[in-house]
Amino acid sequence: MTMKLTTDPSAATLLPIAKKEGVSTVWDRHRAMQPQCGFGQLGVCCRICWKGPCRIDPFGDGPQRGICGADADTIVARNVIRMIAAGAAGHSEHGRHVALALQGVAEGRLPAYQIRDEAKLRAVAAKLDICTEGQDIPAIAAAVAKATLEDFQNQDHDAPCNWIEASLTKKRLERLQALHVLPHNIDAVITQIMGRTLVGCDADPVNLILGGIKGALADFDGMCLATELSDALFGTPSPVITAANLGVIKPDAVNIAVHGHNPLLSEVVCEVAGQMDEEARKAGAKDGINIVGICCTGNEVMVRHGIPLAANYLSQELALITGAVDAMVVDVQCIMPSVSEIGACFHTAVITTMAENKIPGATHVDFKEETALESARRIVATAIDAYKRRDPRRVNIPDFKQTAIVGFGVESVVGALATLNAEDPLQPLIENIANGNIRGIALFAGCNSTQVAQDSSFVTMAKKLAANNVLMLATGCGAGSFAKHGLMTQEATLEYAGDSLKAVLTAIGTSAGLNGPLPLVLHMGSCVDNSRAVQVAVAVADKLGVDLDQLPLVASAPEAMSEKAVAIGTWSVALGIPTHLGTMPQVTGSAKVTELLTQTAKDLLGGYFLVELDPNLAADKLLEVIEERRKGLGI
Amino acid sequence: MKRQRENAIVFADPERCLGCHGCELACAVAHSGTGLHQAALSGLTLRPRNKVVAAGGVMMPVQCRQCEDAPCAAACPTGAMLQESGQVGVREKNCVGCKVCVMVCPFGAISVKHEGSDPESCRTNGGVARKCDLCAGTGRGLPACVEACPTKALSLVDLEEYRQTLIEARAAELAQSLQHLKSRKARI
Repeated sequence: MTMKLTTDPSAATLLPIAKKEGVSTVWDRHRAMQPQCGFGQLGVCCRICWKGPCRIDPFGDGPQRGICGADADTIVARNVIRMIAAGAAGHSEHGRHVALALQGVAEGRLPAYQIRDEAKLRAVAAKLDICTEGQDIPAIAAAVAKATLEDFQNQDHDAPCNWIEASLTKKRLERLQALHVLPHNIDAVITQIMGRTLVGCDADPVNLILGGIKGALADFDGMCLATELSDALFGTPSPVITAANLGVIKPDAVNIAVHGHNPLLSEVVCEVAGQMDEEARKAGAKDGINIVGICCTGNEVMVRHGIPLAANYLSQELALITGAVDAMVVDVQCIMPSVSEIGACFHTAVITTMAENKIPGATHVDFKEETALESARRIVATAIDAYKRRDPRRVNIPDFKQTAIVGFGVESVVGALATLNAEDPLQPLIENIANGNIRGIALFAGCNSTQVAQDSSFVTMAKKLAANNVLMLATGCGAGSFAKHGLMTQEATLEYAGDSLKAVLTAIGTSAGLNGPLPLVLHMGSCVDNSRAVQVAVAVADKLGVDLDQLPLVASAPEAMSEKAVAIGTWSVALGIPTHLGTMPQVTGSAKVTELLTQTAKDLLGGYFLVELDPNLAADKLLEVIEERRKGLGI
Repeated sequence: MKRQRENAIVFADPERCLGCHGCELACAVAHSGTGLHQAALSGLTLRPRNKVVAAGGVMMPVQCRQCEDAPCAAACPTGAMLQESGQVGVREKNCVGCKVCVMVCPFGAISVKHEGSDPESCRTNGGVARKCDLCAGTGRGLPACVEACPTKALSLVDLEEYRQTLIEARAAELAQSLQHLKSRKARI
């Protein structure tokens, strides 16, 4: 039974305990929800006004239009672009938060933060065409923050957002401009989607989807700025050896799980925890304080500080069922509301921190950048206090953890390549792609979903692509799943990589001082960090003088779930990248929208969605796409 | 003599039905021989064999009652409608789509239309009578509508079991009141 739900070995230990204790998990709730509503699955249910709900008969015999006259194509298009707007809103709120923090640091208002990577800040300023000559760091930070915040303020519809303009190839920008889908202002574009999908507005599925693409590109803009400014504030990731899966929770430590997405809080919690270690020891925890990560907050602190990752999305509840998590500190996104209920079954303090993200039953510690240190101290003190109430008889920590080498930002990838060719670091990568040692590059991103046995599609596809010499990058819960299953190790490279990929990874790893190959899959960070992979691709494309849709580059979200994944997938397509989905998108009720996303997009943008639920076949199809692209380049 | 067992029926509880039409969709897909997304993507025309009806403040799906003395079976001129394997069955190959069954069915539970992709020849519309067959032959334990109903408003009722339960419940009530009378008598 367990194997059908998840392939995470920890689950086999913990699910029987959950059952015995009467704790329901995400998989129990998934089962209770079966069968799921077919109208919803097809996307043909409209709840946009109160004349409804309306639903279209997908099989042609019943109603073909809603009460207002909207047909399946209109309804599906509206529903899917609203999802894009929600995803873009999530990422760009994250980005705005980071940009405002940078502004606060520049103005000297935020004692808890500083610019940890000045070189990155300068590089960002240069990228945004900001003159830094003779400027000190606070002045540069202020200018970068100002240029970034313009992306939320600009009212000139013809002037594209600063970040997107600085982040894509010229050809791509022209192509997107010609389709009128370049965003000028993140907030405005998201608002526009909500406005145009209001009852009685935009009903043309093509126009709606183009609006959605613009929203997705706004999402991309928000992600770029969030990633880069986070690096300036908290440090740019560099390779670090750590561990993943629930075995990283320590029985004799105060375990604090940081969960969610935003590094602003977790960074300060990590710092304060270091200072309060002695207090934890005094409370009886002989190993002091142990911070572990969950979801993308976990990825953020993992790639920057080597903090181990306990769980990705679907196993967040299992972390609590170990009975050894003293506090789960959550910020935004992907936090199951069930965690407060499960926390209450144990001694765990579930702590929400954002004014706009509270959970009934959780303790709320209001987090403000100005008073971040105090909030963090309160949080750590709450965890130490909870530790004193822990019942050791209920502690069940599965004995599973895998080593993971993580932290491959653009700078460290280029840095590793520079050990082979300092003059022209990208040359070795391009040469190896051209000579076929590396057939192509695949970016694995996105969620876990109960529609797929947890992590299984990621692992199956990665092994197959690796054997076929495809270089793999990963972010978000995809990265979490590879880390938990031991695919971010040198051993995995030796075991699963095809001969030529193995040779390339070994050459780079050895010359970068790793005493062996690079790991099989390179961990690029959280889901907001998908922009890192684009940066690598743009650099390669610029160097070759081609556009992104010509590169042997594919993306895959084999276990997609979140509205954020809809936004990411859509911008990936808009950038010219064939993008695989391993869960059924809620659009198949409209033949027109399905065709737009899977076929028409190919002509308009070069990228397109490829839906394949079987991970083995999906890997084959991606390999075919890679070969097709290679042929196009004449390599 | 053959032992006669009443046909099972799908029973709908109007107090639980939310009118979501989930049972209709599940029925249509169950009889399509393919999955929901595949059927939608390939543009098949599929028809449910039940229909959610709202009237007089009551809402519930209506489907074939599997009548024991079925008017449709009595009226069918080609012998396509008949008692078969615990239900009123339709031998589709015998059906000419004449709609006599539709006219005599007191519940409107029979439709006569073509399903699948459009018929190739225009010599015939390809319609045959279709009605609830309790999902016989779809390989599922329970009819798809019963499985799909999110509020459990639908159930498959085996009349013999149903009657047995009813009889036992009434007998238990009777036993209880007898006991009560007895104990009161003893006290007096």
